[in-house]
Amino acid sequence: MKKIFFRTLYITACISIAIACKPKLETPSIDKGSLDLTTYVAIGNSITAGYADNALYRQGQENSYAKLLAEQFQLAGAGEFRIPYVSATSPGIGAPPKFSAHLALSYVTDCNNVTSLAPKPVAATGDFGVFASVYAAQGPFNNFGVPGAKSFHVPYPRYGDPSNTGKYNPFFARMTSNANGSMLTEALSRNPTFFSLFIGNNDVLLYALAGAASDSITQTTLFDASIDGILTALTATGAKGVVGNIPDITTLPHFTTVPYNGLVLTRQGQVDSLNAGYAPLGITFQLGQNPFIIADASAPGGRRKILSTEYVLLSVPQDSLKCYKMGSGIPIPNKYVLTASEISLIKTATDNYNAKLKSAALSHDLAFVDANAFLKSALTGLTFDGIKVNTVFVSGGAFSLDGVHLTPLGNALLANEFIRSINAKYSSTIPLVDVTKYHGVIFP
Amino acid sequence: MKKLLIILISLSPFLAHAQGFQVNLQGQKQQAMGGTGTGMALDEASVFYNPGAVSHLEKNGVSLGISPTIAHSTFELSNTQTQNRTKSPVSTPFTGYAVFGKQDSKLKLGLGVYTPFGSTIKWEDGWAGRFQLTKLQLFSVFIQPTVSYKISDKVGIGAGFVYGIGKIDLSRDLPIIDANGNYGSARLTGNASGVGFNAGIYLKPSEKISIGITYRSQVNMKINKGNAEFKVPPSASSNFPNGSFTSSLPLPQVISIGVGLKPIEKLLITADVNFIGWSAYKELAFDYDKNTSALQDTRSERNYKNTYAFRLGGQYSVKENFRIRTGIAYQLTPVQDGYVTPEVPDANKISYTAGLGYKFADKLTVDVSFTFENFAKRTDTNKESNFSGTYKTYIAIPGISLTYNF
Repeated sequence: MKKIFFRTLYITACISIAIACKPKLETPSIDKGSLDLTTYVAIGNSITAGYADNALYRQGQENSYAKLLAEQFQLAGAGEFRIPYVSATSPGIGAPPKFSAHLALSYVTDCNNVTSLAPKPVAATGDFGVFASVYAAQGPFNNFGVPGAKSFHVPYPRYGDPSNTGKYNPFFARMTSNANGSMLTEALSRNPTFFSLFIGNNDVLLYALAGAASDSITQTTLFDASIDGILTALTATGAKGVVGNIPDITTLPHFTTVPYNGLVLTRQGQVDSLNAGYAPLGITFQLGQNPFIIADASAPGGRRKILSTEYVLLSVPQDSLKCYKMGSGIPIPNKYVLTASEISLIKTATDNYNAKLKSAALSHDLAFVDANAFLKSALTGLTFDGIKVNTVFVSGGAFSLDGVHLTPLGNALLANEFIRSINAKYSSTIPLVDVTKYHGVIFP
Repeated sequence: MKKLLIILISLSPFLAHAQGFQVNLQGQKQQAMGGTGTGMALDEASVFYNPGAVSHLEKNGVSLGISPTIAHSTFELSNTQTQNRTKSPVSTPFTGYAVFGKQDSKLKLGLGVYTPFGSTIKWEDGWAGRFQLTKLQLFSVFIQPTVSYKISDKVGIGAGFVYGIGKIDLSRDLPIIDANGNYGSARLTGNASGVGFNAGIYLKPSEKISIGITYRSQVNMKINKGNAEFKVPPSASSNFPNGSFTSSLPLPQVISIGVGLKPIEKLLITADVNFIGWSAYKELAFDYDKNTSALQDTRSERNYKNTYAFRLGGQYSVKENFRIRTGIAYQLTPVQDGYVTPEVPDANKISYTAGLGYKFADKLTVDVSFTFENFAKRTDTNKESNFSGTYKTYIAIPGISLTYNF
């Protein structure tokens, strides 16, 4: 009996170790549905390129929503997705006219000798070596995200021809197979079976980023014709695709971070002297927060208080605000401000473009991503897998340090919006991106 | 014998009990019999199962036991290819019971020192739920001095005072990353304590039947001055000041009714029903002494519901000194849809149990048990974190105890 007891004891011990087996869950099957993912090309602007932190640089490119999409497609058997990579050691280069290196959150000492965290370029200037052609080394490409591209640039020939002075785009020149090509002809030369088109932002955003002081809003007729032409060409051989709409600028931290009433007066002496100076214009100040003074040619004296509905852009020089009377004694120049009438023009254009993008997606029987609605829902904050995300600058997690382009986390969230739309449209089950693997702004 | 086991198992489908973070590992004999024990005066573990039955124990005794708990959970993030597993260390809930009384005295004194809840769940590095939980270690010991009085050969009553001490150690990652790709993390550690009681009535109308009813009160485990420690990039450290926190965790009241039947001398059949007052666990709140814009007090809804557990067990005396046992239990989860968390990836579960007891000499008994708990696969989207996925858990619990009677 003793023997039986010990034998059973021994068996129990063995079983308990063996049974410490790990529970298995079946991975959901991946179904392409009606998709043909043999060759995926992404057409778009800086967001598609993975431009972030005010520059095109490697880390941004590696985390573009287009690349993340391609990776998920590859799980369903898609082919290679080639990206015109910048060297991993390059500080990157931003769009003209500044051509700056990418920003990083750094300790910055301001004019008041106060040190705080702020975005700062990682190098004095951008890396112009980025603009050298990488076609021979890395092409042909699948990611036709070109920083600065507007809708009508997509079919525009010689967009990558440096001899086309003033009209070519160096970000396209570095990736095109030939100087005469357009983004569209280059994309078509890959014989895409699936495409994403996320274009139109710059048709209004570049104007907005310039404080409406330069650049211009693309005419709706030109925009509409460009979109029609692009989609007709891309779908001519039966390719399927997805079209995204463009964000309203109110969702972008670049426009919403600097408060309209950021002129803080702490001493009565400041108030008195400003009141004295502005008495002829009937403008008064008080202790505490005051609306900034902005330049406005149509106002008496060429200046006025900014309205609560108007925006001071993130590009405004902070030291000028803090120490050199900009926004009080000196009006904030037009290029750093969007006035109510300018905002209205921007909003109208955005609405028109988005109406067109949606109807064009519908008429070409393509999937449609309401990126604008998604960003608007993030305004009040969303939670993904325990990560809280909103559109607040730096801490919000979704937007990079330029306040316009996305962080890796923002790209992952956007990629999932694309995948959801694609799956719904094409009855596919492309897996979503695990967003917890992608981060927000990097802190020193 | 084989036949008997089959009968026992086929009787079982109506059984249940709910657990959350509670462990029900008390007494190897009882564990082997599906966790029944309320309606029996089986051994010193009655200090836990039914203080009223302690007065009906025939001998004085001391019993020490341990139940190494090997738990494995697998998680799959909804609509992705991400699967994660736990890498939890083996938890070691233990029990110690002692019963003393003068020969033929109606009064018996008992002492229980046991682990009513205690487990460690640790998820693999970099898992998808890292911003909710990376590791949770709960450990507690209840000390329960007990008095039991034999009113008659048919009735016993008893009660014990419960003093609980506990430890919590909870870690999670923070979605703040530094230039080297390291995420920040928060670690909350603290000691908790609480008081309660355990009371029971034991009835034995005949030699063939015994009945027990017990009430174990809720014990609120309070953490005062826990230690909150944050590791974040230096530039964010002022937003996450190390400091202290307070929190509390209710251990629910349990009402149990149990019965023991002896259709023949060699066979004991037992059944228990537990009602568990989990609705007391409404929220998990952490109040930090130093708040910043990034570090706010948290109040996470848990909204557990009251549940039941149904248990059935059997013991067969093969010989005077050799007994075999088996049982089954069905435990309903207290965690409602929308509230499943990585801390407690709970679900309804079936426990299969078996065990042996061997009396070496007149005074020394060794009991072993083995429990296998199979949790139902559960898919849920947490309302707070929007964390959506499927959990599946197995727990294997071998156990052994030594009992010395005198």
